[in-house]
Amino acid sequence: MKHKIIGKGERRVDALGKVTGTAKYAEDFNVMHQLYGKVLRAKHPHAKILKIDISKAQKLEGVEAVLTANDIPGDKVFGVVVKNQAILAQDKVRYLGDGVALVAAKTKEIAEQAVSLIEVEYETLPIISDSEEAFKPESIKIHGDDNQFVHHHVTKGDIEKGFNESDFIIEKKFKTQFIEHSAIEPEAVLAEPAEHGGVIVTGSVQNLFSTRRSVAGALKLDLNKVQIIQSTLGGSFGGKDEVMTAMCCRAALLCMKTGKPVKMVNTREESMIESYKRHPYVLYYKWGCKKNGSITAMEIKCIADGGAYASMSPFVTWRSVVQATGPYYCENVKTDVYAVYTNNNYTGAMRGFGSPQVNFAIESMMDELAEKVGKDPFEIRLQNGFETGAVTATGQKLNHRVSLKEVLTKSAEAADFLNKWNQYRTSKQSPKRKGIGLACSYRGVSLGAEGTDAAGTIVSVQTDGSVIVSSGITDMGQGAQTQMSQIAAEVLGITMDRIQFLNTNTSRVPDSGPTVASRGTIMGGAAAKKGAEIVRAFLIKTASEMTGLDVMSLDLKDNYLIDTNNGERLASFNEVAAECFNKGRPMYGFGWHKSPQTSWDEHHGHGEAYFTFVYGANIAEVEVDTETGKVDVLNFVSCHDVGKAINRNSVLGQFYGGVAMGLGYGLMEEFNFEDSIPKQLNFDEYLIPTSMDVPNIIPIIVENEDAAGPYGAKSIGEPSNELAAPAIINAIYNATGKRIYEIPATLERVLLGHKLTRKGERGSVKKEEVLADSCKIRPEGR
Amino acid sequence: MKPFEYRAVHSVEEAVSVLAEYGSDARILAGGTDLLIELRKQNVKTPKVVIDISFIKELRGIESPNGTVMLQSLTTHSEIVNSKVVQQYASLLTGAASVIGSPQIRNKGTVGGNIMNAATCADTVPPLIALGAKITLKSKTNSRQIDLSDLFIKPYQTKAKPEEILTEIQFPKLSSNVKSSFIKLGRRNALSISRLSVAAILTQDKNGKITDARIVPGAALPVWRRVTEAEILLIGKKPSKELFTAAGQKVSEVMISHTGRRWSTEYKEPVIATLVRRALEMCVGDLKDLKDLKDLKD
Repeated sequence: MKHKIIGKGERRVDALGKVTGTAKYAEDFNVMHQLYGKVLRAKHPHAKILKIDISKAQKLEGVEAVLTANDIPGDKVFGVVVKNQAILAQDKVRYLGDGVALVAAKTKEIAEQAVSLIEVEYETLPIISDSEEAFKPESIKIHGDDNQFVHHHVTKGDIEKGFNESDFIIEKKFKTQFIEHSAIEPEAVLAEPAEHGGVIVTGSVQNLFSTRRSVAGALKLDLNKVQIIQSTLGGSFGGKDEVMTAMCCRAALLCMKTGKPVKMVNTREESMIESYKRHPYVLYYKWGCKKNGSITAMEIKCIADGGAYASMSPFVTWRSVVQATGPYYCENVKTDVYAVYTNNNYTGAMRGFGSPQVNFAIESMMDELAEKVGKDPFEIRLQNGFETGAVTATGQKLNHRVSLKEVLTKSAEAADFLNKWNQYRTSKQSPKRKGIGLACSYRGVSLGAEGTDAAGTIVSVQTDGSVIVSSGITDMGQGAQTQMSQIAAEVLGITMDRIQFLNTNTSRVPDSGPTVASRGTIMGGAAAKKGAEIVRAFLIKTASEMTGLDVMSLDLKDNYLIDTNNGERLASFNEVAAECFNKGRPMYGFGWHKSPQTSWDEHHGHGEAYFTFVYGANIAEVEVDTETGKVDVLNFVSCHDVGKAINRNSVLGQFYGGVAMGLGYGLMEEFNFEDSIPKQLNFDEYLIPTSMDVPNIIPIIVENEDAAGPYGAKSIGEPSNELAAPAIINAIYNATGKRIYEIPATLERVLLGHKLTRKGERGSVKKEEVLADSCKIRPEGR
Repeated sequence: MKPFEYRAVHSVEEAVSVLAEYGSDARILAGGTDLLIELRKQNVKTPKVVIDISFIKELRGIESPNGTVMLQSLTTHSEIVNSKVVQQYASLLTGAASVIGSPQIRNKGTVGGNIMNAATCADTVPPLIALGAKITLKSKTNSRQIDLSDLFIKPYQTKAKPEEILTEIQFPKLSSNVKSSFIKLGRRNALSISRLSVAAILTQDKNGKITDARIVPGAALPVWRRVTEAEILLIGKKPSKELFTAAGQKVSEVMISHTGRRWSTEYKEPVIATLVRRALEMCVGDLKDLKDLKDLKD
C-alpha cells in the first residue's frame, strides 16, 4: 500500500517551537505570587532521624511554609510496584537524595537559606554500598527484614542434563555500572491551586498518570481534583518518572498548605544527588557448549543494585530474566535475577530497561564461544540465532517474522565485517590497533506481561478543517507527537500543517499507562489510527451526501475530497468538515488500543512474555591505543527491524542517539559512589560522549511489517541503545586479544585490565602526592 | 551559589587598587571558566568580592617585541590558537590551547586564568614552562617579573601575593630549526581534562645531534618543571626509538620520586613514559599518526 505521509521524513510537529524558543519547558512557567520550594535532603546515606527542628527556618522573613513528613495528609510513600518510597523521610533516611523537609518562600534565595536553618539530629547506621554485601544475612536491613526484594527466575529443560551433554563449559563474571540519564533539562514543576479545589501541576513529567495517583494519594484528593499537565520535555530517557513524582507531590503539598502557586526546580547537582540511575548488575554466566558451537545449557545469575527504593526494579529485572539468554537456541536454561536494596541512589527505568546489562554479558559470551570453537562472531550467531517459529527460554513460540539473521547479514555486509575481523585479529604489531565487533539482540516490544497495556488518542476535527490531536502517550523529545500526527494525517488525507498536537493533560485524555518500553508509536499510534478512522467515517458519509457518490468512490487525499474513479477533486477537506458540523455529526474520534494478550507464570518462570519482538545488530569498528588504553570508535553500523518506519528521520535520530548513548555506556560513563556518597554532581566530572567521540554511523532500517502495530510499526527507542556497548567491547577484544569484563572500558581498564580506585589509600600517601591528582577538587584559597 | 560582592574594573590600575583593598577576600574573574564552576560547589568558601577584570582592554593581545612573544594575561585560548605569531614561534602552545575544553570555553578562558588557577592539568602551562616563559605580577605598589616555573607552590597554590595580578607572559621565540610538540591524553576527545600531557622542544645540529631538549609533563608532578634528568640523556645524541624510550622512562622515574607510589601510579608510570617518547618522536617527525590525540606537530 502506498502511503502519503507514513514512512516519510516529515518535520517534527514540535520542531519550530523548539528552535524558535516558543516551546515552554517546565521552568518557563511562572505566575503571579508564586513561591519557591526547596528540599532539605539527607546528610547521611543511612541514618535514623531523631529530631527535626524547623523553628529557625519558620521564623525567617519570607518563609511561608516548612513541612516534614508529619504534614502529609495522605499517603507518605508512593511506588508503582512496591509502595515504599518516601515523599519525605519519616523515621530514617536511606540514601543521600532522600528529602527530609520542605520549604516554600518568597524567593529561591530565602528558600535556600531556610533549608540551611532546619536542624536535624541523626543517628547514623551502617551503610550498604555493595549489592553482594546486601545479600549477607548479617548485613543491616534497609527496608523490613530482607534486602533482597526481587527474585525472578526462568527455567527450561534440565540444566544438569544440559551441562552433562556439553563438551566444555564457559563460565564468566561481568559487571556493569551506575549511569545517569543526563537529560539536558533537570526536573522542574509549577503547582497551582485549582479553581474549584484540588491542584494543577505543570512539569517535566514522563509518566503523568502514575504521578497523578501519587499526588492524589498524598493529598487525599480524588483523581479528578488533580491535573498533571506535561510541559515540553527536555529529554527523559526513562529518567523523569519517580523523581518527578516526588517533586510533584512536594510542590503540591506546599501549594495546598500555602494556597499559593509553588515553583520547584532542581539544579543539576540536586538532580544528580536525588535522581535514580541505571541498575548496575553483577552477572554470572555459565554456558555448556558443544565442539560444533551449539549451546546445551545456560545457567545465569544476575544481581541488580536496586539502591534505596524499589522503583522499577521488579520490572527492569523481569525484562532481564526474559531476555537473559539472548536470541539463541538453548534447550536447558536456568536464570535467576535478583534485586537488592543498598544505600546508593535508587535505580529504575532507563532507556534499555534491564537489557543493556544482560546484552553486554550475552554478546561477550557469544564471542568467547566463537573463539573456543574456532568460528567467527558472525557464523556463531547465525548458527545459534532464532528463526521464525523458534521457542524462547520462557517457552514462547515466535510466530512473527524473526529477522535476526536478516539484520545480522545486512549489517555484516555493510561493515565488511568478516574481512576486517580476520585482518584485525592477526595484525598486532602497531601500538594502535584496529578492531571490529558485532552484537545482536532481540527485545520484547512494549510492556508485555508487566501489566495492562492500552492507550487512547483523541483526533478532533475543527469546523475549518484543522485538526487537534491529543493522547495519553507523552512526548519527551522522542517524537511520539509527530508519529501520532502523521498517522492521523494519513488516515484523514490531510497535510501535517493542518494538525496541532496538544501537550498531555491528565484531566483531558484517558489514562494510557506510562510512556515507556518503546510503546509510544505502537500503542499511541494504533490509537491515533482508530480515532482518525472514526472521524473519517463521518466525513466520508457527509461527503457522500454532498456529492451523491457512493462512499466507496470517495477518498480524502492532500486536503481534498477525491472521486476515486477519476481522481477529480470534488471539495476541499475544509468544506467537508464544515458540512459535517452543519449536519450535526461528531468530528471527534476517540481511539483506544489494547495490546494483544500476553501471559506470565511467575511460579514456573515461563509464558508469552511479549506480544511481539524486534531484532537488531550493531557493528563497531574501533582503534585501541594499546600504550594508553584510549579507545576511539571509528565507524559504526546500526541495523534494526522497526516493523515500519512511520517517520524516517525520527527513526534515524533514534539510531544515532542510541549509538551515542550506548557508546558512553561502553566507554566512559560511570556514576561513582564512595560509601554511597556520589563522587560527581555535574557534567564537569560525569563524562558523556561529545560529538567528537561519536563515530560515523551507517544506519540500516529493516522493515518487516508486524500485524501488532499501526501500519506494521514496532519499536526503536530502546533497541537502538542496547547493543552499542557490547559491539564496542567485542571490537576491543578483536583489536587487543584482551576482553573487558567490566564496563565502562576506561583508559585504565583497557590498559591494565582493571579499574584504579582511590579508596582506602588516601591516608597512606603524602599530602603532596594526593594533590598531584587533584584536578577535580580545588581546596580553598587562591 | 552564595551571594558575594561583584566589582567590574576597567584598568590594571583600578584592579590592583581594589585588590589592595580586599586582598585574600577577593577572587579574580577573568574568563570565569574555572571560577564560576568552583563558586557553584557547596563546600567551597565564597569570596567576599569577585573582581571582574575581563573588561580591561590593555590586558588583551599578542605582540612579538625583540625576539620574544608577549601574551597579555586576558588573551583567550581561541586568540592563541588563531595567532600567526604563536603558530610560527611557539606551535606547541597553539597545540595545547587548541585542545582545552570546547570552543565556548576556549572563547572565554584566558591564558592568565589557566596559569593562576594552577591546576596540575592546566594545558598551557607545560608548553609555557618549556618555552622558558617569564610572567609579570603587578600590585598597587610593585611590579615584578619572575620565571613561570618559580610561580607554583603546589596544585592550586602560587607564590603570587593576594594583592597581585598577572599581567603579561613573555617567552623567547623558537627559531625555525627548533621542533616542538604537545600531547594531551584525555578520557574523551573534547571537553576533557588532561589525564596526562607532555610538552617537548628539541633542537638538533646539522648532523642531527640533539643540542637542546626540554620536556615538561602535565598532570604528573605536583609542581611543574622541566625534567632535566631526562633532558640530559638526549644531549649530544642522535634521535632513536631507544633514546626516546629511555627519556620517557626517566620522566616516569622522576614522577614517582616526587609522588611516591600511589593509587594512580600503576597507570601513569607506563603511560607518561609512552607520551614522552611520542612527544619526542613527533618533534623529529617519526610519528605522524596521532591525529586522534589532537596533537600538533610543527
